[in-house]
Amino acid sequence: MNSSFPSLPSFPSFQSARLAPWAAGTLLALALTLPASALAQSSSRPQVGLQCVSHGSGPMLECVVDLRRRDGSAVEGAQVMLGALMPSMPMAHTIKPMKAAPTGKPGEYRATLELEMLGVWSVEVDISGPLRDKVARNLLVHECPGSERCAATPAKAGDDVHMGRHRPGAHGGHKH
Amino acid sequence: MSASWVHAVGLASDMAIMSLLALSAYLLLLVGRVSFGQQAFFGLGAYASGVMSALFAWPLAAALALGVVVGALCSWALALPTMRLSGLHYAVATLAFGEMARIALSALHWQRPTEDGPVGPAGIEGFRDIRWLLENDVSAEAYLLLTLGLLAAVLGLLMAAERTRLGTAWRMTGQDDVLTAAQGVSVARMRLLVAALAGGLAALGGGLYAHRTTYIEPALFDPMLGVHAVGYALLGGLGTALGPFLGVVIDLGLLDAARLFPGWRMVIFGGLVALFLRWRPRGLLDEVLVHRLGQWLRRQPPAQPPNPPTAP
Repeated sequence: MNSSFPSLPSFPSFQSARLAPWAAGTLLALALTLPASALAQSSSRPQVGLQCVSHGSGPMLECVVDLRRRDGSAVEGAQVMLGALMPSMPMAHTIKPMKAAPTGKPGEYRATLELEMLGVWSVEVDISGPLRDKVARNLLVHECPGSERCAATPAKAGDDVHMGRHRPGAHGGHKH
Repeated sequence: MSASWVHAVGLASDMAIMSLLALSAYLLLLVGRVSFGQQAFFGLGAYASGVMSALFAWPLAAALALGVVVGALCSWALALPTMRLSGLHYAVATLAFGEMARIALSALHWQRPTEDGPVGPAGIEGFRDIRWLLENDVSAEAYLLLTLGLLAAVLGLLMAAERTRLGTAWRMTGQDDVLTAAQGVSVARMRLLVAALAGGLAALGGGLYAHRTTYIEPALFDPMLGVHAVGYALLGGLGTALGPFLGVVIDLGLLDAARLFPGWRMVIFGGLVALFLRWRPRGLLDEVLVHRLGQWLRRQPPAQPPNPPTAP
């Protein structure tokens, strides 16, 4: 800045100058306390199957999660949390996550999300317990007339983001 | 762990991350620039830091730092050719850049095979498995603390900067660049510096977002994100760096999370922004209110009268 710049009254900001060293210290401390990333670990990730159907107004999205280890055995006793967000507006339209309850079948968990509108939703599956993982699936939630239950299909490029118009011939969810 | 707790932690993380993006729009508004392209730097930061941690196993701090550098450099590079644009032309130029960046990310394929399948950006299908937090067993609560700490640091630094000549020069540039230049301040240098800072801030938010959700895709970084960032700054106020944070709290905290007006949130948010632009164009915490609050906070308590001598 040019040295001829005159001394002007600065805008007050609540003694903020005193905050600066504390703020910088907080930043540094937090960055240092997180551990260094491990190199690619040997995989213990579960295979996550996700099948969802929509129904009712809202609409409601009922999802069944199937958790399997690599050897095909069911993952029992896991805590599974389902959430959803709209990719077209991240950090808004965030749906309250729901804890999925075991259905009785080995490795299978079920939860129902109350969405705000039709369209493409990214359904997040957060797994903790015996295994920890987090996966997200983009699903197109269709308009479902009356009391029908419609399968939420994997979203593809070009799907209407908000309207969730049904694509003929689209069926079911998909596996990881 | 209850669903409500998970929701609260997620919401607080989102608010902190969105605040960083809103602060980047705020910085540009201070120097008289309305940018609808900050989502591009958010996305570039998300991809850059995600690539470094997921493909090259960089520590989180280093990956975030690289994202900030990428965002700052790209924003600075955009500011160079758009230096002479003003008002609507600048806004449209930033919007166009935002879309160019989103389309470029849609064409980015850079994957590396792993035991669990390929990892890395896969064009329009997005970039999955940014698993640094999972692999290092960092809980959502710890990550929230980190995010809040970074936001507090940024807020503190910006509020401190605003008390200096530099901060005054930013506001002067935004008010009248000709008069500012007549005072001997390099308007171009101010705008380049602020553009770089704003890009870096948006990229920091993007990096934090990518690691929080483990999944990003180009569709996330569409113009609505940038429009919201500007809206938060305008709603919360341009008088202090706390303004954009307040805007985020009003929208995400009150309108969205509390579900006060289900289905009408976007209408109410848009209406609020429109009303503020008409009746309070510098936002809730505008310069006048901040000045008054500052005077009130600095006010010294009246001197106590000396105790009257007591009779023996």
